[in-house]
Amino acid sequence: MEKALVEKGLKILENLQDGKLITHLNSCVHCGLCAESCIYYKATGDNRFTPARKVDLVASVYRRYCTFTGRLAPWLVNARELNDDTSKEMVDLLFGACTMCGRCTMHCSIGVDIAYVVRTGRAMLSNMGMVPASLQSTVNAAVETGNNMGIPVDEYVDTLKWMEEELADELNSKEARIPIDEPGKRILYTLNPREPKFFPLSISAMAKIFYAAGESWTLSSSMYDITNYAYFSGNQEEASLIAKRMWDEMDKLGSSRLVLAECGHGSRALRWESPNYLQQAFPFAVQTSVELIAEYLREGRIRLDKEKFKEAVTLHDPCNLVRNGGICSDQRYILKEFISDFREMTPCGTDNYCCGGGGGQLAMSEYNDRRMKTGKIKADQISRTGAKIVVSPCHNCVDQLSQINFSFKLNVQVKTMAELVADAIIL
Amino acid sequence: MPTLEIEGKTFNVDGDGFLSSPEIWTEDVAKLFAKYDGINEMNEKHWAIVKLIRRNWEEKAMAPMVRTLCQETGVKLREIYELFPLGPARGACRIAGLPKPDGCV
Repeated sequence: MEKALVEKGLKILENLQDGKLITHLNSCVHCGLCAESCIYYKATGDNRFTPARKVDLVASVYRRYCTFTGRLAPWLVNARELNDDTSKEMVDLLFGACTMCGRCTMHCSIGVDIAYVVRTGRAMLSNMGMVPASLQSTVNAAVETGNNMGIPVDEYVDTLKWMEEELADELNSKEARIPIDEPGKRILYTLNPREPKFFPLSISAMAKIFYAAGESWTLSSSMYDITNYAYFSGNQEEASLIAKRMWDEMDKLGSSRLVLAECGHGSRALRWESPNYLQQAFPFAVQTSVELIAEYLREGRIRLDKEKFKEAVTLHDPCNLVRNGGICSDQRYILKEFISDFREMTPCGTDNYCCGGGGGQLAMSEYNDRRMKTGKIKADQISRTGAKIVVSPCHNCVDQLSQINFSFKLNVQVKTMAELVADAIIL
Repeated sequence: MPTLEIEGKTFNVDGDGFLSSPEIWTEDVAKLFAKYDGINEMNEKHWAIVKLIRRNWEEKAMAPMVRTLCQETGVKLREIYELFPLGPARGACRIAGLPKPDGCV
């Protein structure tokens, strides 16, 4: 491996703004409690997938180049060169065998932020140009076109207008709208590009909720994409660029509240990471759509038909929204308002298992076999509830759950929260 | 490179089962891929959608919006999800021999 390339990777370890990384790289006591918390280890029994091994992979490179003993006598401290073998192993374990769900971090006996160490390892690989091609192409599409599927603006706008017509017909009201680029509205709403491209029913569902609540809202035509795959690839420069566009769009349209679509990692990247990326506090309010719907219910702005769904409903908690995003009770509050037979998975909430599609796994065809193996854990969880509808406030999870549904023949319906709520709304 | 074997025929595919060489696609390939997804018989609506996706890809190098599929074939939106159990992306686009679209699909 060329020296210049190695230096690019090491730059991430050397250019530290605080002591957080050093603390986490030096703290693992190898107790092994994290193994059972990891869906990759649980699904395969392969020791290589133990989260501590992933931490140690990054830590061993750190020791080799950034510590006195590691530089002088690497064999004494099990320090590793950053070479072809090491980087290949890093790609395989950090990209190919981790959804960055953070369950191991919660189970760690001493609180090592394992997912953060994995993300640091990914950042090194990103600097070295070693991000798996399919994940990088999703990032590139977002950077170059403004959305991760490269949807042209006119096709996007045509889709919104089409959904608006359908909605106005369905509700028999010209007031049921999908506003585009309207300045000065209270809310700027966002989307996951898979909605306009392939699954627009969730757009009209949310528009119906906004209509019922009498909300003042708009979508943007140029910057609506809530996803930020650069958060997964570990490239902070690209992640900052994508996040900044959303901040700028808020400023341009003059909305006071940014509402994040049902997207786990996008919510996390924007809400919890973007102030760090941009080194600035939010000049506007930020809220997920789940919190907003719960707020509408609490304030009596929308009402739901308790008779609409008789079948059992279960909830999949998106890791980045729940464990890593702190939104745990609002989705349950919403469901208990109108679902008579709501069944929790075991485990659930902050201890829930990842669906297997997080961390960019859905974008990375390279690791599809592993993704469906880890998905078996979720399939079993769903089966055990006996539910007929699985709701999840994350489009990425919804896609993985739909594949799990098909592959393991679960025979359930998979829906976003807005879709379920919109179906039961009383107008 | 992963392969997919359907009824004795072997195809080179990506990890998600999308054709590695989209140019080798034929209608017979579509029928086989559809069977793999549990669609035993491709009906008129299946064909209209798959051929439209294929044409769009050959002309513009990308999958069409689901709006285009509905408006040009007359198939209702909700029906598309019933016709293709894996949805327009992992289902219909894969049967039309396209590479996997980027993003959360």
